[in-house]
Order: sequence, then C-alpha cells, then structure tokens
Amino acid sequence: MTLLDRESTLAAARALVEASPADETEVTLESCLDRFVRFADTGPTQSADRERYEVAVRVRLVSDQGRREARATCDGLDPALTRGTLERAVALARHSPPDPELLALEGPVAVDGRRADPGTLAHPFEQKADWVRAALAACAEHELLPAGLAQTTGLARGLVSSAGRAVYAATSRASFALTASVPGFVDGSGFAEQIAARVVQIDPARVIARAVDKAVKSRAPQPIEPGEYTVVLEPPAVSSILLFATYKGFGAQEVHEKASFLCGRQGKKVFPEGLSLADHAGNAVYAGFPFDGEGSPKKRVALIERGVLTGPVTDSAWAAKLGLENTGHALPKPNTHGPMALNPVLAAGESSLEELIGGVERGLLVTQFHYTNLIDPKDLTLTGMTRNGTFLIEDGNVTRPVKNLRFTESLVGALGRVTGVGRDLDVAGALFEGEVVCPALRIDRFRFTSTTDF
Amino acid sequence: MTDMMDVARAAVAAAQAAGAEYADARANRLLREELCVRNGRIGQADATEQLGLGVRVMKDGCFGFAAAPLAAGDGSALARALAARAVRGAGELAPAVVAPARLAGREGHVAEYATLLEIDPFQVPLGERVEFLRAAEAGMEGAGETVVREASASIRREEQWQASSEGAAIHQLLTRTGAGIATTAAADGQVETRSYPSSFGGNYKSAGWEHALALDLVAHGQRVRDESLALCRADPCPGGVRTLILGASQLMLQIHESVGHPNELDRVFGHEIDLAGSSFATTDKLGSFRYGSPLVNLVADSTVAGGLDTRGFDDECVPSGSWHVVKDGVFNGYHTSREWAGHIGEERSRATARAEGWFNPPIIRMTNLSLMPGRWTLDELLADSEDGAVFADTVKMWSIDQRRLNFQFTCEIGFEIRGGKLGRMLRSPTYQGRTPDFWGSCDAICDADHWDLWGVPNCGKGNPMQVAEMSHGAAPARFRGVTFVDARL
Repeated sequence: MTLLDRESTLAAARALVEASPADETEVTLESCLDRFVRFADTGPTQSADRERYEVAVRVRLVSDQGRREARATCDGLDPALTRGTLERAVALARHSPPDPELLALEGPVAVDGRRADPGTLAHPFEQKADWVRAALAACAEHELLPAGLAQTTGLARGLVSSAGRAVYAATSRASFALTASVPGFVDGSGFAEQIAARVVQIDPARVIARAVDKAVKSRAPQPIEPGEYTVVLEPPAVSSILLFATYKGFGAQEVHEKASFLCGRQGKKVFPEGLSLADHAGNAVYAGFPFDGEGSPKKRVALIERGVLTGPVTDSAWAAKLGLENTGHALPKPNTHGPMALNPVLAAGESSLEELIGGVERGLLVTQFHYTNLIDPKDLTLTGMTRNGTFLIEDGNVTRPVKNLRFTESLVGALGRVTGVGRDLDVAGALFEGEVVCPALRIDRFRFTSTTDF
Repeated sequence: MTDMMDVARAAVAAAQAAGAEYADARANRLLREELCVRNGRIGQADATEQLGLGVRVMKDGCFGFAAAPLAAGDGSALARALAARAVRGAGELAPAVVAPARLAGREGHVAEYATLLEIDPFQVPLGERVEFLRAAEAGMEGAGETVVREASASIRREEQWQASSEGAAIHQLLTRTGAGIATTAAADGQVETRSYPSSFGGNYKSAGWEHALALDLVAHGQRVRDESLALCRADPCPGGVRTLILGASQLMLQIHESVGHPNELDRVFGHEIDLAGSSFATTDKLGSFRYGSPLVNLVADSTVAGGLDTRGFDDECVPSGSWHVVKDGVFNGYHTSREWAGHIGEERSRATARAEGWFNPPIIRMTNLSLMPGRWTLDELLADSEDGAVFADTVKMWSIDQRRLNFQFTCEIGFEIRGGKLGRMLRSPTYQGRTPDFWGSCDAICDADHWDLWGVPNCGKGNPMQVAEMSHGAAPARFRGVTFVDARL
C-alpha cells in the first residue's frame, strides 16, 4: 500500500459522494502508513509495519424541521464496504432528530497543499535498528536501562462534499524518544525526545546524549519538601500542561457553556507581555493539516497575544451561532466536543535554558510531567507528577537531583507568573494526545502539594 | 468463519515458510455504533466498521508485525504479503536484539467463544435506541442552570479469527453495550457535572441491550440534574485527614490505577517506562508484600460474566482464567503474557495479552480485576462511621505517579456523614494516598448485594498507545486516615 495521492483520494471520495442518496454528503478519506520499533534493555520489543485507511461519510437529510445528520466510518476502500458505510450513515441519519440550527455544507475553498516526505515514508527498520543499537550502547556504557520508541508515519487526508468542497493534504512525522533509567527505576532517570516532520531532521545521537546525561545527573535523588518553587519547565513539561488549555478551554463550545477559563477573562491582560500563544497549523517548525474536520482552512488564531487572552477557536456551527469568524477548527462531525485548537505554538522568547536557570535563586528544573489531569476547567487547575529528571536550582546553578513531586496548580495562575521564556522551540507531546511547539518557561511560585518515594 | 480463518492460516503458513520460528495472525472485524443526544440534538451518531489482518512473527528471537485492512477477495494474497513483511521486519531488527524473546507454554487450541447476551444490540432498531436516548435526555430537562444534558449509548461487536503456528484456530464474537447520562450545571460561579451510572459515558458490560435497559436512565434524570446544580452550591470538600467511604463507581478506578496497572509484569521490568511508567510491585514482593489489609482480596478474572475483558482466549491463544492478584492483603500474582510468564518462573501465561484491533501487536493488558465483597450493608457502614467521615463517588479526575504509588483522585460528589447517615453535600472531594498505605487502611467492604461490575472503556497503555477495555467489580468500602486535599487555589 502507498499513501494515496491527491487524485486517487479525491476521486474515491467523490465517487462515494455522487453515489449518496442523501441531500448533503461529505466524505473524508485518510490513508496512513506507519512503522515503529519499541525497545528496552533486551533490544527491540515490539515493532509494526502497518497501514490503514479511514473512510468517513457524513450525510444530512434536509426537511422543513431541519437537518438530520449522522456519520459512519470504515477502514478500507473495498466498494462493498464503503457503500455499506454510506448506507449505515443514511440509516443513522433517518433516525436522528432534525436540528434546525444545522446550516448547509459550505462550498469550495482553497487550502495550502502539503506533502508527506518520501524519505520518511520509506525509512527502513534497518536504520531504526541502528538508532536502537546506539541507544542501548550509550545506556550500557553508563549502566542505565533504556526504553524508547522510533517511529515514522505518513498521513494523507482528503475531503469532498456535495457542496463542491474538495481539499487534500499529506503530512509525515518522525520521532525518536529515549528514557534512560538507573536499574531499579527508583534512583533516577532521564528523558529526551525529538519530533519532526521529516526523518532527516531527527538527530538520534543528540536525543541519546540528552537522555543519558539527565539520567546520570539524576542518580540518587534527594528528598525535597513540597511547597511553592520557582520552576524552569523544559518543553515536555510545558506541553503536558499547556495541552489542557486546548482540550478544555480555547474552544467556542466550552466558552459558550461557561466551562472555560476564558469566561470573564477574554480581552484582558492576564499574562506577562512576553507570553504569546497561537493556534497555527501552518507554523514553520512543525506544520499540521491545513484544513479542519469540515475541510475549512485552518486560520492562525491568536489565543494569547502579548499577555492578553483572546480566542476562542470556532467551527462553522459555532461561528454562526456566536456571530464570529469560522477559524477552521472543527473536529469531524457530528461530535460532542466542539471546535478544538490542535496546533498550539507558544512563541519563543529570548533566553537560553542556561539563562532561565541562571535567574533562579532557589527552584526546580523540571524535565517532564506525568499523568497531568484537569481538576477545574474554570482556572485550569491541574495536577500531575514530575518525572525523568527533577533538579534543585540554587543561586542560578543546578545542584542536585530531587525526588519527584506532585503539583496542584492553576495553569492560568502559573502562566500569569511567567518570568522567562526560552528562545529555542521544541515539539513536545504528553501522556494524553496532542503536540505543542513550545520553548522552556520559568514560572514563579509553582505549587507542589506532595512528594513520592523516588 | 472459514474464509477468515483460512486467511489467518495462510498468513501463518507463509510466515513459517519465510523462516519464522513462531507466527500468529488475527483477522479482526469491529462494528461499533455510538449515539449521543446532547441538549436535544444529536451530538454524536457514529457507526464504524473495521476489518483487517495483523500478522505477528518471531524470527531469531525478535518479534515482527505487519497489518493492513482486508478487502473482499484478496485475503490470502494479503496474508502472504503481510507475513513476508513481518518476517523481513523481524529480520532487520534481529541484529539489535540483546536477549531473544521466548514464549511460555504451547497453545494450539481450536475453539469458539461468544459473549452471552439476551438482546443483540445490533438487532435493536436504530429508532428504538435513539428514542431511548431522547427520553433519557429529556428526563434531565427543567433547570435553567443546566448547560449540558447528554444521554449516550455505545454498542460494539468484535469478531476475531486467530490462527497460530502451534495449530491454534480460535473464533471469538465479543459484544458489549454501554449507556449513561450526564448533566453539567453552571451556577454561582461554579461548573459541575454529575453522571449516572458512572462517568466515561456510563457503565459498560459484555452484554446485550438488556444492560442498557436495566440502567433505567430516565428514572435517574431528575436526580442527576438536581445534583449537578446542588454541587455548584455545595461546600467544597475541605482538606484534612479523615475516614473515606468510596462508592463502587469510584472504586472501579481506584482498583484500576493502583492495583491493575502496577500488576502488569512488563511494567515491572521497565518495558513500559517510556510512556506509561514502571511499577513499585517488584518481583521480590510477590508472595510476601502487604498490599492491603487482610480484608482486601483482588481477583483478576477474564471469565467473569459481563466483564468487558471476558473472552475465551487472549490474543496469544491462551485460555482465559482467574487468579488472586492480592490475597488476604498479600501480593499474590501478576498479569503476564507468553513472553513474560517465564520471567517469574511461571510455565504458562495468565492470558492477558491483547491488542487493540488488527492494527496493533498484542501487549500485556489488564483484565477484569475486582475487589471481592465483604459483609456490610451500606446503611450499616454509614451508621458505623464517625461524624465527619466522607462518602464519595464517581470519577471526576485522576492522576498517579509513574510507579503507581502516589495518587490523587477527585470525585464528582461527596457527602459528609453525620449521625450515621449522609449529611451535607460536598463538592469535588479530592483525596491523595500512597497505594499500599491506602489499601492497608481498608477496614470494611460492603456485601455481594452491593457489588457490581463497572466498565473502563478507555484504558491507555503501550507506545504507540493502544486502548483496551476491562471491568472492575466493587462494593462500597471504607478506608481510614485518608488525606483529603482542598484543591482550591
């Protein structure tokens, strides 16, 4: 199987649209190629060479009472399968209550073309095995246990509707991550990851060196009391808390339903001047798909503009409902979540990581957070654990490793106490889904509420 | 069955011909329908059909895996192609292997299995299921402060044909049904959600539509609505150390996070540390470590009627079974796979290797894991508890450290106990603990009349992540000296 090109994707989608008996039909067709190798101290532990399709059919039946809408999906291109999917969507729609607020599907748009990198799609297991061997060797040299993942993925997506919309793009993604642990998994560990659009951008030696260095420096962590600390958060820690603002906060639906931290704060300077966040699928560091779940072009949306809280992101329905511009942030419809910011980019500042650390009298350097979760959406109160390298900073220097701590902190409050923004952008993910382009941050009085044994 | 089993067998044969020491293949078909009525409209109406083939091989002690969707007519050709790719992949990776994988036991079973159910949910007319949800959603109307009313139902059927180079030929048909309601109210500056029968969209069982009907969603609509509003106006649960009685729905996740996950043997050996983490339940603790009080018995069981992970065989063709993970408070057994069983001297896997669909290779996954019932009624337990103790239920937020020791949970609702009864309502009861200390503080468990299975439909593990489903049986239980956190800032 290969990643479907524009012509094949749109032709297959169009054929299904034209075969539909519904008043309005939209077909989204995805093809995905993925290869990964997972590894640990024994070498490669799992691997996969796999591909899949997803065909999603959304149909609407129009009456005086409104539109009845439903969606059906399948994971193949077999005509019998896709026709069956269309029939299921129509059957579901017939039983859906009519919605008078649903608007007609929108017509043609132009979106930026994007292509998957052929080299990434073709990256063989042999080369991934080289990365794995290098990681194992480096860890063995320092008596550390390795665990990680090497992955290359290609994704193509096209959308065709009966209203004349036809859009297509393809992306690629490569990643290499290493967690290096002191044997026993209690006396220290380090983590590093690189995510990029093309596999040639991946520098496995650098990833390995960072993870091993952190693990070596994190040996024999010392107890530490919970409390408020100035923290320097590296990008994987920043991403795991910032992503919650995108899961539950920057979307028009949760603002309207009064469940968002934007409520009462929109247009206000809640954060320092140096903080700017945008949802920008076309960013230069790690671009995402240029169109949303309805095929609308994704617009750059300022969410925090030099400290002023703005947003939200919308889709066609919420834009119409609230009298706003459609920013192109729809998830596939119908859905219960509403529009979502999927390509957050936190703007870089001017400080190196060393400069951020150098400005701390007493605080903590945090590599990563683990199992961050949301307590209260109104202030984005979150909790989670530090992980994979937590260090005490004293008088501007990293002095010793400490045991992990649990934080309970409002992201709104924390971002309001940002005193430094890193100048180097990184792409980082989190335990739950999503990826952020972000720098490191220094934050005053970050609240840790308990510690753990390791 | 024959065609798909022939495809699976063809893949296995091709893999062996290409030099694999072991091979298994799973043709997997998934049907799923998700319906949600939200604020009077369809919030979700989604029907999914997936059909594909995943081929796993072992060559030179290294696993390889290849997978692709199955279309009509090309099954055998695809099977051979995937087998060749899996073997080639394993061969390219084998030079990096330090310790070759070995499989415990020999599992050449030929069998059929199907979920027992009364009403096939896929035979219930769509219109009937939509009306079921419309009635449930309408039952939550009537309060101006309600911003969200959701009634949802999910049905799923997974059919798998599995063959192996050891002669296994297993066909399984697994059906599950789930339903629930939830309201969100916004009042007095607060936003609170209340769910029934559980959060995560409701309760799910390996059962037919009879499970959804038995939940009687309409009957609970007004209570759920009123409680979400009352929560907005309730006192926040204060911090401090006190007695905690957990409802069974909340205990579901307590068991899941603090017993199930640390019990996965691959985590113990650091093979999940790159994402999900490791485990404090190291092998030196097996058979001797006090995990909980002597009242605490936690049993893993992939045969229990209605369990989301109840099946005939796992994805390595190993027959389902049951065992004590914690017996009379002592750590007793792990979840294992054929690759991992030998690491603790066991000759056979515990049948807990599963993959999400055809697209993924199997890894150790938690099966149904339950706290065995005790002897108390809930009324007796409340009457026996001191003033100031808190009863809390229904998952709202959860977080746990990477070794599964330090946890923090927030529940949807709490009640202060006064005079042996439920007193004032408390908002967002949040408690922290350290796993063995917490389970060691359990001094009472309600009886079998209060016990039920609660489904977790969204367990994530693996890297790349895979989603699995399992159930946890529980009855309300009491824990002493628990640290509550006032999460307000």
